[in-house]
Amino acid sequence: MSKPTDLVQGTLDLLILKIILLEPAHGWAIAQRIRQISKDVLQVNQGALYPALHRLEQQGWIAAEWGESENNRRAKYYSLTRDGRKYMQKEQANWVRLSTAIGLVLDTE
Amino acid sequence: MRGLTKISHRIRSLFRRDAVDAELDEELKIHLEFEIQQKIAAGMLPGAARRAAMIEFGGLESVREECKDMRRVNWISDFVRDVAFGARMLRKNAGFTAIALLTLALGIGANAAIFTLVRGVLLRPLVNRDESRLIYIRQTAKGLGMDNQLFSVPEIEDIRASVKSVKEFGDFSTLGFTMVGLGEPRVVQSGVVDGNYFEVMGLRPVLGRLLDMRDDGPKAEGAVVLTYRFWTTVLKSDPTVLGRTVRLESFGPPQFASIVGVLEPSVPYPADTELIANVVTSPHHLSATMVTGRVHRMTELFGRLAPGATLEQARAELTAVYANMVKDHQESYSKKADSHIEARLLRDEITSRARTVLLVLLAASGLIFIIACSNVANLILARTVRREGELSVRSALGATSGALRRTLLAENLLLCGAGALLGVITARPMVAILARYASRFSVRALDLKVDSTMLWVGAGLAVVAAVLLAFIPRLPAGHASQGNSLTSGSVRITGGTKRRLRVFAVIQIAASFVLLAGASMLVKTLVSLQSIQTGMDMRRILTLDMPTTTYGKTKEQVVATYREILRRIQALPGVQRVAIGSLTPWRDAGAFGPGLQFTADGYVRAAGEEDPRAGFRTVSPGFFASLGVPILEGRDFDESDRSTSEPVVIISQTLAQRMFQGRDPLNRHITWTDPVLKFIPGIKIDPIRIVGIAADLDDEHIIPNPAVTIYMPFEQLTFGGRLFVHANTDPYSLVAPITRIVHEMSAEQPVEHAATLADVRAEVLSPERLNTFVFGGFALVALAIAVVGVAGVLAFSVSARTREFGIRLAIGAQPRQLLTRVIVEGALMGGAGIVVGGAGGLALARLAGSYFQDMQMPGAIVVVVSAIVLLAATVIASALPAARAARVDVIQALRAE
Repeated sequence: MSKPTDLVQGTLDLLILKIILLEPAHGWAIAQRIRQISKDVLQVNQGALYPALHRLEQQGWIAAEWGESENNRRAKYYSLTRDGRKYMQKEQANWVRLSTAIGLVLDTE
Repeated sequence: MRGLTKISHRIRSLFRRDAVDAELDEELKIHLEFEIQQKIAAGMLPGAARRAAMIEFGGLESVREECKDMRRVNWISDFVRDVAFGARMLRKNAGFTAIALLTLALGIGANAAIFTLVRGVLLRPLVNRDESRLIYIRQTAKGLGMDNQLFSVPEIEDIRASVKSVKEFGDFSTLGFTMVGLGEPRVVQSGVVDGNYFEVMGLRPVLGRLLDMRDDGPKAEGAVVLTYRFWTTVLKSDPTVLGRTVRLESFGPPQFASIVGVLEPSVPYPADTELIANVVTSPHHLSATMVTGRVHRMTELFGRLAPGATLEQARAELTAVYANMVKDHQESYSKKADSHIEARLLRDEITSRARTVLLVLLAASGLIFIIACSNVANLILARTVRREGELSVRSALGATSGALRRTLLAENLLLCGAGALLGVITARPMVAILARYASRFSVRALDLKVDSTMLWVGAGLAVVAAVLLAFIPRLPAGHASQGNSLTSGSVRITGGTKRRLRVFAVIQIAASFVLLAGASMLVKTLVSLQSIQTGMDMRRILTLDMPTTTYGKTKEQVVATYREILRRIQALPGVQRVAIGSLTPWRDAGAFGPGLQFTADGYVRAAGEEDPRAGFRTVSPGFFASLGVPILEGRDFDESDRSTSEPVVIISQTLAQRMFQGRDPLNRHITWTDPVLKFIPGIKIDPIRIVGIAADLDDEHIIPNPAVTIYMPFEQLTFGGRLFVHANTDPYSLVAPITRIVHEMSAEQPVEHAATLADVRAEVLSPERLNTFVFGGFALVALAIAVVGVAGVLAFSVSARTREFGIRLAIGAQPRQLLTRVIVEGALMGGAGIVVGGAGGLALARLAGSYFQDMQMPGAIVVVVSAIVLLAATVIASALPAARAARVDVIQALRAE
């Protein structure tokens, strides 16, 4: 179980935004998907996930709505707002630039 | 858009807190259920799945709190909660709250009141149009001790003709008119102005019109304008007053004038006049004396700066023009007089007298604020130390040091806010009292309005106090002793806290010492002024203003009337002696200027010297007997000194000594030589024979100076104005019969302002007395707060050291030793405070001395007495806690921790 601090600051936000860019999802589903897609490498703790979700909502990047889940349960679905979409694109570009840069540094012999 | 969403989220989070919390709970619960279902699907038993999910989830509560923090609303609701908590804590410690509130209310109230006063008197602009262009010009003759010598008509004409940086000049002479035709006949303080005056001053009428150029010059009809205060108070705002005719008498024959208008409310300067008249109402103003006499100075000069001109330019130009004038008329500006011209903004001129007093008051109230804050700081500090246990527990439960500060801040804000509220409430009546006091220094204080500034000042001071106070206590977080306080849960006083407590107590004592020394100095001055022996039977001597009126009478008839008035008053039971004089002692000081120049038989003035000056008084026979002034040689005036007989004078003892130096002055002569007199037709400038020498009577100064005075008989000049009655009974019981007698003889004769000499002196000293009262009050308040402060610190220190005292007693210390210990501790604090206060006070006085010329420093005795009072107060303050220390029960003290 990885602690939130193991993730580079701000990456959790980006992961969440990326997941719900595809389709709106509730908290548990978001955590599951991050785990599945990262092949169990990234495990998001609830203690980090929910504060992050609330912060993103507070900042207006994502919006929350109650809806029915696949097994007919009520759940809070998060979706990306228009501002959030722009923000995510910017952040993703940043991340790519940053990881490329780090990669370049590490690759030097 | 995003901002709006944010705000709506925040508002929702804040006001629908419960709903939002419930949603959060549900969301987390659902997450848990998904987790459990997944685990069951993977083959775990329901119970085990639930437990595993719970463990994996971690602290539900902390996640919840963190989510709430993310919504950034916690600080608002937390603050509300902190305030509520603070209120509960304050209610629980009623004693502490009461003292702190009272102290703060006093500190904030005094400052708010004085700031309102300062703003109203010093900072508010005048109502005059373009008041920042309005200047006041004065001529000084420091060599003669005159800060404001006024101007003569020829001087004003010279200035008017040459100065270009001042667009227009207006002049104003203060004059007392005996006014008949508007209510009771009486003397009204008036101004005589030229046609330019109101234009220059930029004032408007509220009724009718003001005086202008058509009222100027000797050909105009008599016209007067009433001041707003006179119209509203005496005349009850009667609009029909316009067009009424009054008879005005000053120097010279009476004149008629009609009322043409009422002036808008404005600051009356230079004198608090009741009416303002054009020049024809005062024959004296049209006489050669006034028009051609360069040294006959009785007019004040106002000016309006020309467009684009600055005050500095006007000053420079005035100085240059004045220098030329002095060069052209050297005979009128003696070297000794050291004449100069000065100009300043009218607003500064008006407030100059009040400025010093108000700034000193502001400083005193600042000290009170410091004392109040230190005292409350002490109380809070002591209380926080007692609360160390509580704070430790909260810190251990996860409160950050910011959160603890916030809690303390909330409590302090509550305390200071309440204190400010109370302070502002008490400030209102304080402003009223202080305004009455300050009106003695500036008339502007009279129409002072309490406005919202006071609230802002109060609120500002409260916030300042609260923030300062919140940062005073040491917080337990991060300290090594944390575990200790947690377990013991009792008071553990540390060196740092103790030092801080002492520092605050010392600050309080120091500030109180400065105030106390200042107040003691005023008390001493007042006492010494009040206890001066004048040699007069002051409680038995009644004085009344009775200006000489001549309307419709020949000189002989006037003399006959007054002689009969005196005869009838003399016949009243209870009257020992009655006489006419020309000045009410002290009250009329300065009315005749620096005196007139004269010389005496055989007196040769030194080269380059001017003739000496003597006070000029007219008195009727019996004046000296009435006041109890002995005739040392020769005789008093008597019935034979009439207008038709030989002119004679009586001189004062000092004059006799200075001018005759051992020769017998009797039957020698004095001669008036003052240049002013040559313009007054009919005055005797021949040598006048001396018939008597009277003891010195200084009617100008409270502290008597040697008096150089020449007395002339009332009947030879028919100029008097004051009645003196030496009574055997209550002097005030004579006022009614005297007034009746005067009115029987002459219905239009004003008789006013009756007072015994004792009361006149008290009235003249009343600014001093008020100063003493106000500063004494400040000092007492400061002393009271400081005593409470010292007592509080020691009480706290004693209760925190119960264990120490217990041990001391257990190993054989005597209660008496503990008692002394605590008292010495108090006295040491007192001593330190006095030293700091003395040093600070000295520095303050130095600083003030560079701004104010006539700074008085308290004498050594005053300082020592204040120090002793303060030291005694601290010892008394430490007695109570000391007694408690001595009564400590050994067993209980040892068991206490």
